[in-house]
Amino acid sequence: MEGDASDPEPPDAGEDSKSENGENAPIYCICRKPDINCFMIGCDNCNEWFHGDCIRITEKMAKAIREWYCRECREKDPKLEIRYRHKKSRERDSSERDGSEPRDEGGGRKRPAPDPDLQRRPGAGTGVGAMLARGSASPHKSSPQPLVATPSQHHQQQQQQQQVKRSARMCGECEACRRTEDCGHCDFCRDMKKFGGPNKIRQKCRLRQCQLRARLSPVTPSESLPRPRRPLPTQPQPQPSQKLGRLREDEGAVASAAVKEPPEATATPEPLSDEDLPLDSELYQDFCAGAFDDHSLPWMSDTEESPFLDPALRKRAVKVKHVKRREKKSEKKKDERYKRHRQKQKHKDKWKHPERADAKDPASLPQCLGPGCVRAAQPGSKYCSDDCGMKLAANRIYEILPQRIQQWQQSPCIAEEHGKKLLERIRREQQSARTRLQEMERRFHELEAIILRAKQQAVREDEESNEGDSDDTDLQIFCVSCGHPINPRVALRHMERCYAKYESQTSFGSMYPTRIEGATRLFCDVYNPQSKTYCKRLQVLCPEHSRDPKVPADEVCGCPLVRDVFELTGDFCRLPKRQCNRHYCWEKLRRAEVDLERVRVWYKLDELFEQERNVRTAMTNRAGLLALMLHQTIQHDPLTTDLRSSAER
Amino acid sequence: MTTEQSGNAKAEPALPSSANQSKPVSEKPNYALKFTLEGHTEAVSSVKFSPNGEWLASSSADKVIIIWGAYDGKYEKTLKGHNLEISDVAWSSDSSRLVSASDDKTLKIWDVKSGKCLKTLKGHSNYVFCCNFNPPSNLIISGSFDESVKIWEVRTGKCLKTLSAHSDPVSAVHFNCSGSLIVSGSYDGVCRIWDAASGQCLKALVDDDNPPVSFVKFSPNGKYILIATLDNTLKLWDYSRGRCLKTYTGHKNEKYCVFASFSVTGGKWIVSGSEDNLVYIWNLQTKEIVQKLQGHTDVVISAACHPTENIIASAALGNDKTVKLWTSTY
Repeated sequence: MEGDASDPEPPDAGEDSKSENGENAPIYCICRKPDINCFMIGCDNCNEWFHGDCIRITEKMAKAIREWYCRECREKDPKLEIRYRHKKSRERDSSERDGSEPRDEGGGRKRPAPDPDLQRRPGAGTGVGAMLARGSASPHKSSPQPLVATPSQHHQQQQQQQQVKRSARMCGECEACRRTEDCGHCDFCRDMKKFGGPNKIRQKCRLRQCQLRARLSPVTPSESLPRPRRPLPTQPQPQPSQKLGRLREDEGAVASAAVKEPPEATATPEPLSDEDLPLDSELYQDFCAGAFDDHSLPWMSDTEESPFLDPALRKRAVKVKHVKRREKKSEKKKDERYKRHRQKQKHKDKWKHPERADAKDPASLPQCLGPGCVRAAQPGSKYCSDDCGMKLAANRIYEILPQRIQQWQQSPCIAEEHGKKLLERIRREQQSARTRLQEMERRFHELEAIILRAKQQAVREDEESNEGDSDDTDLQIFCVSCGHPINPRVALRHMERCYAKYESQTSFGSMYPTRIEGATRLFCDVYNPQSKTYCKRLQVLCPEHSRDPKVPADEVCGCPLVRDVFELTGDFCRLPKRQCNRHYCWEKLRRAEVDLERVRVWYKLDELFEQERNVRTAMTNRAGLLALMLHQTIQHDPLTTDLRSSAER
Repeated sequence: MTTEQSGNAKAEPALPSSANQSKPVSEKPNYALKFTLEGHTEAVSSVKFSPNGEWLASSSADKVIIIWGAYDGKYEKTLKGHNLEISDVAWSSDSSRLVSASDDKTLKIWDVKSGKCLKTLKGHSNYVFCCNFNPPSNLIISGSFDESVKIWEVRTGKCLKTLSAHSDPVSAVHFNCSGSLIVSGSYDGVCRIWDAASGQCLKALVDDDNPPVSFVKFSPNGKYILIATLDNTLKLWDYSRGRCLKTYTGHKNEKYCVFASFSVTGGKWIVSGSEDNLVYIWNLQTKEIVQKLQGHTDVVISAACHPTENIIASAALGNDKTVKLWTSTY
């Protein structure tokens, strides 16, 4: 097959097309070689593929081409013209691109490989083939399968290093790109593992940084995970970065994986970050400066492409088809945002400098509505400046407001009266709540006094025997918490303990600490950093945050005894606390009772306060400045101010 | 005059001596314009009195609902939250909540006291056009341009049932006084009556020709249904027999879904807005127009009657943007 089809033109570039292929490999280009490992471009007319080298079209240039026809086709049919993407009409192209996409599908770019042989590049055959070849979508890259389809290709891949490499960071033609060995002395080399470095910076040798395409500044060390895209000088772009970031992440991951494959660490993964714009302007200038036949139009480089050219993937089969702008959507959005931002900026600027507006087109703009102002209004506004607007607003208020106030006061507002009555009621209730609170406080102190007095009693042991006889030891009570059978005598004690044990495992709290003035011990308020809440159990009761203090042996129970449940006898239980089973932790429970009441009163006060606040806001808003200015009630019958037929209450 | 009258209390049936308030037999009301409430910046779409008679809620195309005092017409507060025009608003039975139906495909439940939106009911796929509470006010019913009627639970804000009711936008939905029946009217000309509990369609009221139905409402006693159609006609149907009992004409209604109402506080009237900028009042029994209220400068889209007093509130579209309050002595 090789050399069968003799073509009229010898290969122009005369570049290395050294490729050892199988005998049946299909051949392309004017050079009639089956080499598919370099950049190729397909003619949209005859569907023949040409090496970029042979026809002197670099990948960069090709990025800006939309439709390309080979020289033969163009000569045969003069109507066919190469179409570019104009840099200035980028936005237009974005929309056009959408339209042109389906066409491209059928067209040259995204067609399957020149040979319908699926072995070639099944991955690249689809619509996004070119980019996938570039390695943006990981599924294609991470599994080497589709890429290493044919043995010939695989073979070629291994020979990658000997061929001229081209990618986003390597033009392949400058002095630096042609170097094959690291110098070993620059800072980047010294960082490399092979030169005994810690491999933190992970950059190519300084002398091998491409003069055209390499990053301008040395980047900081990074791992495989790329940083999110830094905002452009004008505005942030969250969306594109997300997309890109995610994809770059994949690439990054792949990059690290791929690095291990080749023996030579010639391409250490570059941190895939941002700053494409300044770079692209460079490239753009480069294009403009470059001399190409038929190409007199300025180019536009594909900004999105560069980050995706993972250095590791450069080693892989780079049978790259003509690239498509993958991230056109995000590009568009970025452009729109960019545009909008620019407009906003312009608008803001204009707002501050009214004189500039005059320069625009004073004849077409209406006059500013400010009082006494003769300047032209800003475009999109009724005023020439903030001041004029404010003056007019002030005048408006002076003029209209008194009249409205008068109107409002002409007739009594029924809702207002209701509000006042409500406020009265609320205040009364607040009073009563406060008295209740005082009552509670009094009880609190009383209880403390009782407890204190009780503790001063002496211990008497003999009462214990009475207890023991009265109880029936045959009965078995089951604990409500744990379910075990327990002796009724110790039932109370056990259940309390059991309950505390279970309760201490749950949390009960709210986000806000208690801030009540004049309230002593109410809520536990212990901060739980995990759930970021403050414990809202009663402090005296909280099983989670307070442990019952150890009871000394000689402490007396001290519970005030009662006759017939309610009548206090004045006596106290004299049993030692440890042994008393009837009055187990009575102080805690009584304290809790009082505290609970106090909490309830505070809640009530809070509620009332809230109601009062609502009524007050309603009263202010009803006849506030805004309300009066915006609304008006015209009274047609001066006698009727109230439509209620019954006597006004 | 007989001297007994002053002494005896109700000795004989009261003769209409002078202008007493006891049982007037006058034939016509004398509604007069009392207040004009300005404040909306776009067309007003609906006005409703609160069941306790204290407030008047007006919804508008400027995306807000304004609450006015019903008796003095004074501004009370504004409820903001919708993203698009509001088509309808309805009160709950305890006058503490409002539900509003908007073009942004949602309904919002508002707490009137605080002015906050309590819940947003999402589920419709097109403009929500009409809404109502049921008498216990635990359900909300809504009709939409997506041709369905949805029943929502107030407490959770979830849609309980969707009745694929009609083949054209639903223009009105209403519960009867007990909350057991739902009536829905739509542009397809059919009025359907549903069982609220099961969602079954019990009856479909169709007349000879089926002009689009623009409004339906149960009468206060639940026996009759008032149906407004876009052929300048209002009809009073007996629901159980499925027969049209009365027809009210004379007004203009061909384009808009104009609200109509029963006035039962004084004389028994049918009150409706009209596209010729007047409010029409008919005698319910005799079907003749007893009064036409003039004052608006655009289509009167909504007319509502106060629950206890002889007050009518009317609202007009974009050229006018006001709500007017009228009172009558009987």
